[in-house]
Amino acid sequence: MSAIMMWAPILIPLAGGLLVLPMRGKSGLREIVALLATLANLVVAIANFNSVGTWTGQWVGHGLDIVLLNYQFSAFILAAAASFALLVCLFCFRFMREKTSANQFFAYMLISLAMVDGAVLADHLVTLLFFWEGLLITLMGMIAIGRPGAFKTAVKAFVIVGISDLCLMFGMAMAGLASGTLVMSKMHLPVTDAFNALAFVLMMIGAIAKAGSMPFHSWIPDAAVDAPLPFMAILPASLEKLAGIYLLSRISLDLFQLTPESWLSPLLMIIGAVTILLAVMMALIQKDYKKLLSYHAISQVGYMVLGIGTALPVGIIGGIFHMINHAMYKSCLFLTGGAVEKQAGTTDLAKLGGLARKMPITFACFFVAACSISGVPPFNGFFSKELLYDAALDRHFIFYIAALGGSFLTAASFLKLGHAAYFGKRSSEHDNVREAPITMLLPMLVIAAACIFFGVHNSWPLRNLIQPVLGARLEGHDFAGWPHSMRLVWLTVAVLAGAIMNHIAGATVYGSGINAVDHIHYAPLLKPIYEQAERRAFDPYEIMLDVAAFIARGAWSVDRAIDWVYNRLAVGAAMLGSTFLKLLHTGDYALYVAWALAGAAIVVWYMVS
Amino acid sequence: MRSLLILLPLAGLILLNLPGGLLAGLALPAVAALAIFEIVLAVYLPTAAFPALEQVQQLLHLSTPLDSLARVLLLSIGIVMLASLLVLHATVKAQRRRFNVANVLLISLMGMNGVVLVHDLFSLYVFLEVTSVASFVLIASSGEDTGLEGAFKYLVLSAVATVLMLSGVAMMFLFAGSTDFSAVAAALQNNSGQLLLKIAIGTFGCGLLIKGGLVPFHGWLPDAYQSAPAAISVLLAGVVTKVSGIYALFRLGISVVGLQTFSPVLLAVGALSMVVGALLALRQNSLKRLLAYSSVSQVGYIVLGLGCAGMGGPAGKLGLAAAIFHLFNHTIFKTLLFVNSAALEQRTGTSDMSVMGGLGSRMPITSTSSAIAALSIAGIPPLSGFWSKLLLIIALWQAGLYAYASLAVFVSVLTLAYMLTVQRRVFFGKCREDLLSAREASGGIVLVEAALALVIIGVGVLMPYVMNSFLLPLKGGF
Repeated sequence: MSAIMMWAPILIPLAGGLLVLPMRGKSGLREIVALLATLANLVVAIANFNSVGTWTGQWVGHGLDIVLLNYQFSAFILAAAASFALLVCLFCFRFMREKTSANQFFAYMLISLAMVDGAVLADHLVTLLFFWEGLLITLMGMIAIGRPGAFKTAVKAFVIVGISDLCLMFGMAMAGLASGTLVMSKMHLPVTDAFNALAFVLMMIGAIAKAGSMPFHSWIPDAAVDAPLPFMAILPASLEKLAGIYLLSRISLDLFQLTPESWLSPLLMIIGAVTILLAVMMALIQKDYKKLLSYHAISQVGYMVLGIGTALPVGIIGGIFHMINHAMYKSCLFLTGGAVEKQAGTTDLAKLGGLARKMPITFACFFVAACSISGVPPFNGFFSKELLYDAALDRHFIFYIAALGGSFLTAASFLKLGHAAYFGKRSSEHDNVREAPITMLLPMLVIAAACIFFGVHNSWPLRNLIQPVLGARLEGHDFAGWPHSMRLVWLTVAVLAGAIMNHIAGATVYGSGINAVDHIHYAPLLKPIYEQAERRAFDPYEIMLDVAAFIARGAWSVDRAIDWVYNRLAVGAAMLGSTFLKLLHTGDYALYVAWALAGAAIVVWYMVS
Repeated sequence: MRSLLILLPLAGLILLNLPGGLLAGLALPAVAALAIFEIVLAVYLPTAAFPALEQVQQLLHLSTPLDSLARVLLLSIGIVMLASLLVLHATVKAQRRRFNVANVLLISLMGMNGVVLVHDLFSLYVFLEVTSVASFVLIASSGEDTGLEGAFKYLVLSAVATVLMLSGVAMMFLFAGSTDFSAVAAALQNNSGQLLLKIAIGTFGCGLLIKGGLVPFHGWLPDAYQSAPAAISVLLAGVVTKVSGIYALFRLGISVVGLQTFSPVLLAVGALSMVVGALLALRQNSLKRLLAYSSVSQVGYIVLGLGCAGMGGPAGKLGLAAAIFHLFNHTIFKTLLFVNSAALEQRTGTSDMSVMGGLGSRMPITSTSSAIAALSIAGIPPLSGFWSKLLLIIALWQAGLYAYASLAVFVSVLTLAYMLTVQRRVFFGKCREDLLSAREASGGIVLVEAALALVIIGVGVLMPYVMNSFLLPLKGGF
């Protein structure tokens, strides 16, 4: 394939972004440019879909070149990213119209797309790092243009992701050292020795932090509140998941040979399981549409990390399948949140209610996406989760229980969200709410339809997109079609039924959808933990800031002490000596003669002795 | 040719005082011409032109080879004499006083040249006395009480020095039968165990330490510098004490007794002067007195370098080169600082820093040149003082004198402290109301300030050139 086609997915969005950046007016031109750029990008991605090619550019030499590789896996990610970018762009056509910083938003979004495309195409660690870090800059920019005060959150995101990127860089250097090459497709490192394992862990940190896994997650809920809403739909919900999980898959499958026997596999699974449970626990008690979704964006990453961490074909397939499914339903959910915010003016669940009548299409899309994320058959989330359950149970039943518990709480929180936002009593100020405009509905409808298609006809994505990623390691398995273990399906259905019953019971007792999970929120043991968590006591970033502040205070007092030595002690000693000597100098010449003679006597005595 | 340096001032003195005062008006130009002649001679060093002069040279017992050390001193004498004359021209307006001072300056010039050139202990003593007597008169030339007091203190301590030196010369003569440098050196070698000779070296050296104003022989120096008229303190601080004390010490150590015999004394006295001078400079209100103590401190550095030279080996050679380099640098920046103080005295009528302030914008060249000199004296790169101190500290370190090296670094900090205090109190801050009308000093002074500041920068920036063409030959020269 030609160099032009290879570079097009990077250069088209980049050029579009740079073109849009200076367009400050409200002419609508920038929306059209952005739409055209994403559309062209999608066309290129589809055209490139079946081609395999590599491009090498001389850079500084000594093995530091620019290497791009387009093959089945990267082409799949590129096409997915292009689709989401186009749909979110379409959604923003109306959504961002009145925002003053829309030119920056579109520019950053397009540049982010270019960076993700570059990172996915990169076949050289340095090239990868370049695009990966570029993504960090636009991430910060997109959060910073949100509501006033968003800059603090932008800095938080920058620091967290920056630190994990630093880990990635060290990991890359170590991997390059161990394998003797920086070309990714030529690396096949075993993780048996400690050096390689450390390199793997460092690179893994970079990957899962980009995906938003714990403990690198804490900027996402803040950004959900502060950043413009489409940001959540495009970056944390879709593009960053695609990039992060893509990289995690690459390092687990290609760069390193992760095996179920290695201790790294349980490590990843534990990270995944903990992320699932803790994030969904936080999601459960949120009273804000966007914030609730943002915790799910963290929780769902846990499933993918868990799946890839099993190092079993079924788990890896399930993890990647869940990645694409999650990108679909989560961006759809964020878009419904955007539609509600735009039409009703708020995302506070306490003020919302009864919107299903007023916004039936939005509700329908929400319903499909919520069923998908909860794992209701036959939507797409159900099938990927069943694969993950299968893999988890294969390794250890504890992981299966964690995953199933996560599903229970996910279903419960979406029942709460749907109930609070779309049913129940409608406040009088929302009587005039109308359905969202068509440009906003269309992306939601497309994604919702895709959710159903990927579920009902899961053999198409599995056989065409995902299973080829594993290639020979698939060992002839085919995971398409209905899950092979009916026992697990029944357990899933039972859990979902339990969630529904839990919700009905809660809603009846407390009288409203928003309070339906209060019995969990205010349970004896959980209440104080929740209170601490709401005060960010468990936010690694805040803890790190506290530690940094403590160190800074210590360093400050050391600094004071040193200052005291210089400013007080040294000066005082000098002044004391000076005063003493001044007192000796009385101006009496007889005294001076005496000194001179005494000095001479000492000198002569020294010379003689 | 060198004998001209002694003969010409003498002839000038006679010509200026011809009956009827025919040439009296030429007094200042005559001294200036002699100073310029000296600079040219020091730089170009022409070979002998007239056989008659060579005979005078032998008669006067002038040293046969004119080494680099002597040339550096001749250059310094010429530069400082010129600066002093320009300051004299700017500060003293009365014709009669100018004429008188010029006459004594000629005597002083002759004395200093003699000290640099002679090759005989007794001649050395004679020229030292000539220089000192001229200095007494110059210090007192203002006719004020303080000037007389300063001159008197100098006189008393010089008398002590005279006694010490004369007795030293007498004892050496006893053994050598001559006072020629080489004869005395030979006698010292042959009678190395003699008690009397050791006492002789000690007393003669102490006489020179008094002339050089090192602690604890320094009692006269602050009063003399402070009370002398502006032009005279420039000359005294810049070159008179350096020639009569420090150069003579160099000469004694190098050409007669050998530095190693008293290098511990030099190290101790040098370090003591360095520290005590700097500490005393910290708490002075009079700018001239502060600069006087600063001189004590800086001379301590030079003597420390000389002591290091006595340790022998490559480090010793480097120490000697550093000491000579610092001697030259000190001449330049201390002269500049005293010219600055003369400029301030010209415009404010005092050298008391407690009544100054905010003069920086009103006297920009004085302020800037003072800052350059202050940074150089404190050893801030890339100014000249940095290099000489650096070489000195390296030499001390290489010689294994770690404590002295650390002390030298420590005193640099004190130096910076008191020099910045000067800059702050005099030039920064708010201008006092009675100084609002102050303006830049007169042309001659400004010229000297600018020229000397350029020398400081030039020597510092062109260090590689200075190093190769001037310092490295010095190192190997002895």
